Amino acid sequence: MTLSGEFLAFMSLAIVAVVGGMLLLNLTKVVHMVLGLFFTFASIAGIFILLSAEFLGVVQILVYSGAITIIMLFGIMLTRHQDEEEQPTVGAWKRVLLLIGVLSFGALFYIGIYGLDFGTTPAALHVSNTEQIGMALYRDFVIPFELMSVLLLVALIGAIVLSRKDDGKEAEKQ
Amino acid sequence: MENAWLIPLFPLLSFVFLLLFGRKLKEGSAYAGILLTLASLVFSVIVLVERMAAPASYKAEAVWLKIGELELTAGFEVNQLNALMLVIVSLVSFLVHTYSKGYMHGDDRFHVFYAYLGLFTFAMLGLVLSPNLLQTYIFWELVGVGSFLLIGFYYFKNEARAAAKKAFIMTRIGDVGLLIGMILLFWQVGSFEYDEIFAAVEAGSISGTMITLTAILIFIGAVGKSGQFPLHTWLPDAMEGPTPVSALIHAATMVAAGVYLVAATFPLFAASETAMMTVAIIGAFTAIFAASIGLAQTNIKRVLAYSTVSQLGYMMLALGSAGYVAGVFHLMTHAFFKALLFLAAGSVIHALHHKQNIEEMGGLWKKLPLTGPLFLMGTLAISGVPLFSGFFSKDEILIAVWAHGNYFLFILAVIAAFFTAFYMFRLFFMVFTGEARSPLGNVQESPATMTMPMVVLGVLAVVAGYVNTPWFGTFLGDWLVEGNEALGHGHIEGPAWIMIVATLVSLAGIFLAYLMYYKKSLARDWFTSRAPITYSIVRNKYFIDEFYNLSVVYATRSVSLFLRFIELFLVEGLMKLVAGVVSLLGKSGSRFQNGQIQTYGMAAFLGLAVLLLIFALTGGYIG
Amino acid sequence: MSSVPITAFLALALILFCIGLYGALTKRNTIIVLISIELMLNAVNINLVTFSKYGMTPAITGQVFAVFVIAVAAAEVAVGIAILLALYRNRRTVNIDEINTMKH
Repeated sequence: MTLSGEFLAFMSLAIVAVVGGMLLLNLTKVVHMVLGLFFTFASIAGIFILLSAEFLGVVQILVYSGAITIIMLFGIMLTRHQDEEEQPTVGAWKRVLLLIGVLSFGALFYIGIYGLDFGTTPAALHVSNTEQIGMALYRDFVIPFELMSVLLLVALIGAIVLSRKDDGKEAEKQ
Repeated sequence: MENAWLIPLFPLLSFVFLLLFGRKLKEGSAYAGILLTLASLVFSVIVLVERMAAPASYKAEAVWLKIGELELTAGFEVNQLNALMLVIVSLVSFLVHTYSKGYMHGDDRFHVFYAYLGLFTFAMLGLVLSPNLLQTYIFWELVGVGSFLLIGFYYFKNEARAAAKKAFIMTRIGDVGLLIGMILLFWQVGSFEYDEIFAAVEAGSISGTMITLTAILIFIGAVGKSGQFPLHTWLPDAMEGPTPVSALIHAATMVAAGVYLVAATFPLFAASETAMMTVAIIGAFTAIFAASIGLAQTNIKRVLAYSTVSQLGYMMLALGSAGYVAGVFHLMTHAFFKALLFLAAGSVIHALHHKQNIEEMGGLWKKLPLTGPLFLMGTLAISGVPLFSGFFSKDEILIAVWAHGNYFLFILAVIAAFFTAFYMFRLFFMVFTGEARSPLGNVQESPATMTMPMVVLGVLAVVAGYVNTPWFGTFLGDWLVEGNEALGHGHIEGPAWIMIVATLVSLAGIFLAYLMYYKKSLARDWFTSRAPITYSIVRNKYFIDEFYNLSVVYATRSVSLFLRFIELFLVEGLMKLVAGVVSLLGKSGSRFQNGQIQTYGMAAFLGLAVLLLIFALTGGYIG
Repeated sequence: MSSVPITAFLALALILFCIGLYGALTKRNTIIVLISIELMLNAVNINLVTFSKYGMTPAITGQVFAVFVIAVAAAEVAVGIAILLALYRNRRTVNIDEINTMKH
C-alpha cells in the first residue's frame, strides 16, 4: 500500500465521514447533529468520485447534502424542540447490550471482508460516466426507472396529503 | 290417518304464533289458541272415525339417525289407543282453551298462558302419536316442561315457584327410571320401536329378569308422571297453577300419560308376573292412600288433586291386574269427569274471587245455578253411582281385579271407592249446601265461555260410560284389543254381585257424607274427636312431605353443601392457581410489548447478531 | 491503479452502517432516527459503488442501483417528514418513546 494521492484522499475523506458519524452520536443539539451528518454525506460524495462514480457523487451532494439535509432542518424547525437531546430512552444496560451487538456484528463482517480481493481489473467507469449510466438506465432498466418516477410521484402526493389533512382538521377544531 | 301428524302441529303453530304476536293480540290470543286446537280436535275425530273403519293400524316413519348398523326412526302411529288418546287430549285441551278465555280474563300475561297451553298440547299430542320409546321420551320431557311452566305461571307467588320446582324434580326422579329402562331395552333389543320390542318379548329373546327389570323401570317413570306413591307429593302442590291448567294437565292429560305409557308398553308388562304385581300393588295402595288423605283436606283443589291421585292408582291397579281395557276405559271417563270437576271448581273459585277453602264456602247451589248441577254430575260420576260413566269403568276395574285373583287388592279398591264417594260428597255438601260460613261477597255465575265447556264435559261425564257396558255391549273394549291378543280380552266376565257391591259401597259413602254434612245428624267431629292422632296424620298427608324434607332433602342438602365447599376451596382454588399463573406469564410477557419501536428493532437486530455469531462459530464462513 | 484496497472501502461502509444502526436504535428524536436510517442507506450505496468498480464482474449496474437507492431514500425522507409533521400536530411531540400506540 503506497502512500499515493488517492490513498491520502481516501483516508481524509473516510476520517471526515466517520467523525461526522461520531458527532451524530455524541452531540446533544439536534441542529449540530444534522450539521455533522452534512459532512459525512459530503465526504461520501468524495468517496463516490474516488470510486469513479462522478455522476453519483454529484447526485449525492445534490440530494443528500442539499435536499435531504435541508428537509431535515425544516422538519426540526417546524417541530418544537428542546434543544438538548435529553436522556436517551433506552436504559444504560440496553445501550451496552446494543453496543456489544453492533460491535460484534461489525467485527463479524470485518472478518468477512478482510483481505477481500477479487483480482479483477477495474472497469473503465470513469470514462464518460454519466453517459454510461444514462445508457444503462434507458436501455436495461427502463421499467424500474419509470416505476421509480411513479414512486416519487406517490411520495410527493402522499407527503402533501399527510401534511395538509391535519391542517384541515386543525381548522375544523378551531 | 296419513295426515295424523298434522294434529300436534296446530298447537305448536299456536305456541309459536302467540310467542311472536301474543303481546299485540292481548286477549285476542285466545281466539288463535281456540281455533287451532279446534282444528286439532276435528282432525283427531276424523282420525278416530277412520281408525274405527280401517282394518289395521297406520304407521309412518323415516330414518332419523343412522349410527353404524343402528337406525333410529321418527314417525307417528295411529292405533286404537293412540286414536282414542288423541281425541281425549284434543277435546279436553280445546275445552280448556275455551274455558280459560273467561277464567284468565284480565290477567297481564294472558297471551303467555295461551302460548304455554299450546306448547303443552303440542307435546301431549306428540306423546300419544309416538311410535317408539325415544320419541315418547322426548315428548314426555316436553310435557314436563309445559307442566313446569304452567304450574309456575304465577311465578311471583312463592308457593307456585316451589310447586313448579317440586313437580319438575319429582317427575324427573321417575324419568331417570324410565330413561334407564329405555336404554336397557335398547341394549337388549337394539331398537326403540314398540313393535320390535313386543316382538322380541314374544319371541322370548329377552330374559325374564330383564323384562321384569325394564318393565319396573318404565313403571317408575309412570309413577313419577302419574303421581303414584311414593312420588305423589308434587301433584297436590301443583294445584298452585291456574285452575284450567289443573284440569288439563293435572287431571285429564299429563298425569294420565303415566297410565298411557304403561298401557302402550302393556305387552312388556304382561310378560312379567312380578312387574304386573308391582303395578297392581302400587296402584291399589296409592288409590286407598290418596283417598284417605282426601278425606281430611279443606282446599277444594287439593281434595280434587288427591282424588286424581287415587283414581290414577285405580287405573294402575286395573293395568296391573291384566285389565287393559278397564284401565284405558277408566282413563277416558276419568279425563272427562275430572276435567269437569276441576273446571267447575275453577268456576266456584272464580265466582268467589279466588277463595279456595271449603270451610269458608257453603250454600252456593242457588247462587251458581249452572255450576252446581254440573259439579254434582261430576261428583256422581266419580263416586260410581250407577248410570254415570264412572260407574261402568270402576266396575270394569273391580271385575278385572277380582278375576285376576287379587282378593286383598280388591278389598282395598272397594274401600277406596267408599272413601271416594264419601269425600267427594263431603266436598259437594260443604260447598253447595247449607249456609255460607263466611261472607262471600257478590257471587255471580261464570260467563258462557266457562260454562259451555263444562256443559260439554258434563254430558260426556254421563254418557261416556255407555261405550263399554255389560248391558249394551262392550264396544270400546272389543275395539281396543282387536287384532292384538297380548292385550287380553275386551271384557272380563265377573260375578254379578261385584256390581251390586260397588253400588252399595258408593251409596254408603254418599249416605254417610249426607248424614254428616247435610243433615248434620252425625256430628262432624264424631270421628276426629275419637281418634285425633289418626285424624292429624291423615290431615297432614301422613307426613310424607315432612319425611321427605327430613330424609331425602336434608341428605341432598348436606351433600351439596359439602360439594359446595369442595367447589369453593379445592376446585376454585386450583382454577385460580392455574389462571393466576397464566395471567402472570401473560403480564410479564406483555411488559416486552411496550410499544417502543426501538426496543423491537433492537431485539430483532440482536437476534440477527446472535444468529450470525452462531453461524460463524459453527463453521460458517470463518471456518 | 488500485492503491486503495477494496477492504478499505467496505470497512468504511461497515463503520458508517454500524454508526447508523446504533443511532437509529438509541436516539430519542425521531428526526435523528430518520437521519440515521439515511446514513445506513448511504453505507449501502458505498458498497454498491465499490462492487461496481472492484467487484467480481465490474459493471455500471452497481451505480445505477445506487441511483435507485438514492431516489427511494429521498422519497422515504419526504414521506417520513410528512408523517412526522402530522404526528407532531396531533401529539405535540417528536419523541419516539412517546409514540407507543403500538402497545395498545
